[in-house]
Amino acid sequence: MHNPYKPIPMRIARTVVETDDQSLKSLELTFERGADREQFFSKYRPGQFCQLSIFGKGEAPFGVASAAWEGNFVRFTINKIGVFTRAIHKMKSGDPIGLRGPLGNWYPIEDWKGSNIVIIGGGCAFTTLFALAQHLLPPEIRSQYGDLAVIYGAREPGLFLYKKELETWYEREDINLYQAIDNPREGWGHLVGYVPTVTKEIAPAAENTVAFVCGPSVMIRFTLPVLDELGLPSERIYTSLEKRMKCGIGKCGRCNVGSKYVCKDGPVFTLAELRELPADL
Amino acid sequence: MYKVLSKADLPRLIEKWMAQATVYAPLRQGDFTKFAPLNDPAQADLYYAANTRYPPKALFLPQSEVMFRAKDGEFESTEDEVSSRVILGIHSCDTRALQLLDGVFWAGDYQDPYWAKKRGQTTLVVLGCANPCATCFCTSVGSGPFDKRGADVMLIDIGDEYVADVRNEKGQALFDHLPDASQEQTDTSRQVQAAAAAKMEKPFESEGIEDKLYSLFDNDFWPKIQQSCLGCGVCTFLCPTCHCFDIVDEAQRSERVRNWDTCMFRIYSQEASGHNPRPTNTERTRQRIMHKYAYFVELYDEIGCTGCGRCVRYCPVDLDIRQIIRSAQAWEES
Repeated sequence: MHNPYKPIPMRIARTVVETDDQSLKSLELTFERGADREQFFSKYRPGQFCQLSIFGKGEAPFGVASAAWEGNFVRFTINKIGVFTRAIHKMKSGDPIGLRGPLGNWYPIEDWKGSNIVIIGGGCAFTTLFALAQHLLPPEIRSQYGDLAVIYGAREPGLFLYKKELETWYEREDINLYQAIDNPREGWGHLVGYVPTVTKEIAPAAENTVAFVCGPSVMIRFTLPVLDELGLPSERIYTSLEKRMKCGIGKCGRCNVGSKYVCKDGPVFTLAELRELPADL
Repeated sequence: MYKVLSKADLPRLIEKWMAQATVYAPLRQGDFTKFAPLNDPAQADLYYAANTRYPPKALFLPQSEVMFRAKDGEFESTEDEVSSRVILGIHSCDTRALQLLDGVFWAGDYQDPYWAKKRGQTTLVVLGCANPCATCFCTSVGSGPFDKRGADVMLIDIGDEYVADVRNEKGQALFDHLPDASQEQTDTSRQVQAAAAAKMEKPFESEGIEDKLYSLFDNDFWPKIQQSCLGCGVCTFLCPTCHCFDIVDEAQRSERVRNWDTCMFRIYSQEASGHNPRPTNTERTRQRIMHKYAYFVELYDEIGCTGCGRCVRYCPVDLDIRQIIRSAQAWEES
């Protein structure tokens, strides 16, 4: 019988310090076995997460921050915040690491072909949204959708993730990136303001539009009413939840909201679905 | 198929089973009983307590279970380290609990190999409960003292003999050679079953309880009914249907282990950011009760409580889940 608790062996191919304060670091992991790689990419969709595993330190869940076409690696961007993430931040290229996944559901982008896409993210929660945007960029996929707008806020310019990739988005005609920082700063050539305000200013047309929102809870709380005002129905607003998790497969308890397990039934929910759940967030 | 087994012959039968399997039965441990492997058939004490204090779920989901041994950077799974077992004298409530937990561990996309292996290797010889105790309430939660669901064999005590209701092939393997029960014996066994259920008071009716609990989710019902709770977690540890676990690495032993965990502890849902969706006993008590009486019902169409009464009997401050359910039913929404 397949053992879903058993990590597959991976290796760190590359690390990138993402933010000026060095609190966020991306790891690109490659597969030690070809069969695992095939298995992974046959299942993976943007929005899913994995359990990373370091023997002796434990496991923790992280959203996947890369699209399949980017290469034979899986990217995770990790905030240095606890015992496990501190251990991960100390790891170097070439180090072995375990992985379980991909786990959970995904942004069901294939259900929205022909629609305009608005991606709204804040701070370090931009990871799986980045994977989603990246997924949409190859011409054969991009041509299946309408307008693509990305609104991305961070407190300071130095706190944006994936700065190099974002620069290339500005050069493209088929993606509109709106970066915003909280307060004015000399030399900043983009928008200033909180994500909800910026969203209101940009006012993406609601008709035939689907939104994917992820960020700090305070950002989400104030952005949802803006989308509501713009006329976006709750069935067309997706968000991704975070919870403390252990097993990642709906057995160990703890990540439930009502009868839903965020690890198994989520992490992606529509606003309409969330409104049906008890307020246990 | 109904077989008959004289009580005097039980030790010999156990001995026969012991030649092929590890036989577990309730054993006296101080003032309590606990399921443990028998070395000698005489050790089995099927009647000292209606229910063992420690739930037999531990034989399938041990309180602490090694999942992997780390060797040369590889994780070696321990799931195959289990051999053939017979559990004798388990009651309907605990058997029912295993069946409910099969829905969690042994169904759906991700099956738990540790649970599945142990379940597959185990035969359950259930002893029907002729004398349910005062804290038992199985009849309130859709079960009963002689609920046969999940049993491979159900023993019904009719005095000097047991009538053995052999339910499947696993049970047949243990009881096949015994004589068939007479009509009179099976009739007597039916009377015993009916009498036991009739004796039990039904502390509440469970019909519609999930809707009522959902309607009370944000109500001041929860802060009020949990006030005496110490948050010790004994209700969940001794509960036969509680299945939450933590996964930790025991680095010095080179083992990855899963340990029982409980929603009654603060750290259970504490997130790395510092946020905790269940910061006080109020939210945690609500989670415990609603998991069993609302969420489980929604997921499996069954109440996730089997009425074994352990949480009632062993709570240090006498918080009584039956009273909580009754209060919920009577609570007037403001």
